[in-house]
Amino acid sequence: MDSPVTDDTQDYRDRQTMKLSVDRSLMPPCQAACPLHMEIREYVDLVAQGRIMEALQVIRSGNPFPSICAYVCTHPCEDACRRCQVDNPIAIRALKRFALEFGGDRMVQSEAETTHGEKVAIVGSGPAGLACAYYLRKLGYPATVFEAHSELGGMLRVGIPQYRLPRKVLDTEVQRLTQMGVEIRTNTRVVSLDLLFEMGYKAVFVTIGAHQSLRMEIEGEESPGVIDGATFLREVNLGLKPSLGKRVAVVGGGNVAIDAARTALRLGAHKVSILYRRSREEMPADHAEVEQALEEGIDIRFLEAPTRISRENGRLSVTCVRMELGEPDASGRRRPTPIKDSEFHKEFDTLITAIGQAPQTPVDFGVRTGRGSTIQVDTVTLTTNRAGVFAGGDAVTGPATVTDALAAGRLAASRIDDYLQHRYPLDSKAGRESLTGDLQPETLEMIRKTGRLEPPILPPGARRRDFKAVELIYDWEAAINEARRCLRCGMGAEILFQDKCATCLTCLRVCPYHVPYLDASGTIQIPDDQCQACGICVAECPAKAIVLRKPYDRRHIDEELDHILKSAAQSNFKPLIIGFCCQYGLFGTGALAGLWRGAKASIWIVPVLCAAKVEADHMLRAFEMGAEGVFIAGCGEQCARENTDFWVRQRVEKVRRILAQIGLEPERLQAFVSTTNGGDPAEELDRFAERLGNLYLASIVMQEVKS
Amino acid sequence: MISPYERVLILGCGTCMTVCDAGGEREVSFLHSALRVAQAKSGNGTHTFSEYTLKRQCDPEFLDALGDKIADVDTVLSLGCGIGVQAVAERFPDLPVLPGVNTSFMGMANELGVWDERCAACGDCRLEETAGICPITRCTKGILNGPCAGTKNGKCEANKDMDCAWVLIYKRLERLKQLEKMRRYYPLRNFRAIPRPKRITSKTSVDVGEDNA
Repeated sequence: MDSPVTDDTQDYRDRQTMKLSVDRSLMPPCQAACPLHMEIREYVDLVAQGRIMEALQVIRSGNPFPSICAYVCTHPCEDACRRCQVDNPIAIRALKRFALEFGGDRMVQSEAETTHGEKVAIVGSGPAGLACAYYLRKLGYPATVFEAHSELGGMLRVGIPQYRLPRKVLDTEVQRLTQMGVEIRTNTRVVSLDLLFEMGYKAVFVTIGAHQSLRMEIEGEESPGVIDGATFLREVNLGLKPSLGKRVAVVGGGNVAIDAARTALRLGAHKVSILYRRSREEMPADHAEVEQALEEGIDIRFLEAPTRISRENGRLSVTCVRMELGEPDASGRRRPTPIKDSEFHKEFDTLITAIGQAPQTPVDFGVRTGRGSTIQVDTVTLTTNRAGVFAGGDAVTGPATVTDALAAGRLAASRIDDYLQHRYPLDSKAGRESLTGDLQPETLEMIRKTGRLEPPILPPGARRRDFKAVELIYDWEAAINEARRCLRCGMGAEILFQDKCATCLTCLRVCPYHVPYLDASGTIQIPDDQCQACGICVAECPAKAIVLRKPYDRRHIDEELDHILKSAAQSNFKPLIIGFCCQYGLFGTGALAGLWRGAKASIWIVPVLCAAKVEADHMLRAFEMGAEGVFIAGCGEQCARENTDFWVRQRVEKVRRILAQIGLEPERLQAFVSTTNGGDPAEELDRFAERLGNLYLASIVMQEVKS
Repeated sequence: MISPYERVLILGCGTCMTVCDAGGEREVSFLHSALRVAQAKSGNGTHTFSEYTLKRQCDPEFLDALGDKIADVDTVLSLGCGIGVQAVAERFPDLPVLPGVNTSFMGMANELGVWDERCAACGDCRLEETAGICPITRCTKGILNGPCAGTKNGKCEANKDMDCAWVLIYKRLERLKQLEKMRRYYPLRNFRAIPRPKRITSKTSVDVGEDNA
């Protein structure tokens, strides 16, 4: 029968299959907030499953120097994290550090091949310059990095103190760049770009940072004993030990001020104070850094500002004034104004100014500069007013974060590539739809509150003595539990086949989070910004109209079953037992690892991302494949989702009824749940295997009796 | 039932049977797997199964979409209601059709997985007089001038979990200030008493945390 109807039917099925292979997940807020747009949700999920090596791969693919970010990133992702609405955000940066340490990042080798002839010069070896070099090498260009100091790293080397970024970490990344064939010229200050072009470079990336401290413009600023923050940190970081005396004051409220104060403390200053003209709320420094500084005994004086400095008897006498906050200014922060007649005097041995920094671009570069002496560029192409000269990083933006600089470096590399290949630069912003919107109160209420687990840090007493890294690493279990808190924004369920939906309301009724609703037209809606991706409605939908947004989530149980079918056919161990095990709890924390090793049967594990995703049909399929027994092991009380255990048991009962009708013993199907009080799943499984072994023997005897 | 036939097409229905979780695409796959397990278990079956789900079985136009799906099967196991089974039989005169579902009643879902009978399709509707509560389906005896003497605390003597339909009718008429409808006598009605299950539950009561061995 070759009717047009048949072709239509075939077409329709094909289209359905095609639809299923498309990734329809939305970009989560963390990824949208990350300057590098790293796939945070994906690697956090992999950590939650204990798949650390894969997590590392995801991290490496989105970030040229993840180990650096793992220490110093200001994590805008955590500020955007929607878990903030529930309790606290996921500790993304600390999880990344865990993945890098336990995934063996230090062993990763980088390689690159030269496929292009055009040489590119990079002026400045800060994060932007190094990232640009990295990606240019990946694209196949010969790249040379010029650095005025004796060592690479820019602010990473001379700005950030060692207790925040151990130099070993930086050296490892630099080492990798050398391996990739990046030419490095230290102690080389570039004074003219023309010279670079004469030397045969076809494009130049200017990324000279913002190293020039701003002046306070007050009387006595030139006195000996007054030093600017950037210079101070540079000297310390390059190995000098400036003598500070006993009492040190730092002026400013940013990260540089905090870094300078904590560095001064570690150099032996007895009392370190920070003078900040606004209050704690307006402080631009990272909250955790401020907290740690306070713990270390640094005295932060809010609403105080110096107005005059004089030097008397080898000491600094600083006249200060108290401030009050007025109306918000252009930056949105409340403007401080001095209180009349509130002047007072203080004595210090050293005063460090850290009220901001600006780039210092040599005039000979011939690039146009703008506000705050920053280099002016086109924001899409990163081109300056000179042909072939690109710029990025702090030199363009003014002082910003390491991750911003890395993103600028990556963008520069692809723009330089466009330029050298005479391509029209495409706007990279076009991409996946972002997820926005707050969680609804009724959904919020149902999400289990589990507080954020912070990684351990050195006690304040131990920190003050030296420059050792303050933050330690999670242990395995803490990291997995922290990662499991992720709400998996934007990868939840959707009604992909609206034509199949019979509006039976099953999804609306089974959802533990009250997400699906009936709209005014009588159509079921599953709002993508509310779904918690537990998968219960997917497994329960009688029309199979609902699927998860990621193709992997849709297929992987079937694929694992197919894989077992192939592998188990080759093994002669009997009886065969197939277990669907929650990869989050049991696998991840290793409780399951011992399960099948000790068991007296050939046990095959299908790792599932939540036992509630195992459908009744999957259980039957396992029997069809010849399993003598099937079990489902959920993580029970540990589960981050609601009601999952209930649905596992519903389906188990349904399948057991069918088994009984077929003539198979219902106890061949079991659900195990790991509980915190007693009940070792390994022992339960052993008993289960033993029972099945007996059933198996009995059936063989029966067969022999028959024949 | 299927033993005489080698090639079996399991045919689902995408409308009512999907809504009441009896013959939608998921149930079709589930039955498909169950039949294959049963065949593997017995070890001597020679059936081959295929599956398909139509939007609706009870209209011939939808059945046309089956196309050559039925060209190479020996029978269709329909998970439609009785109407669906008959519609398939009518549309394909040469093809044996088997009922895969024993359709019991017309009802509504009170909550997930619990269905209550509401209508007997008797063609003699009295809902106007009984305040929108059907005594035919909801009273065990199906009496027209209730309640009988068996009502206790508003529950039926036949099933203590079931509300007495006539008590419900009385209370609702009272609310609507139409109690005069209770005082009327309703003459005999032409119906045969058919024993009905009244309720089908697909839900299992499980206590979470209890060992289910």
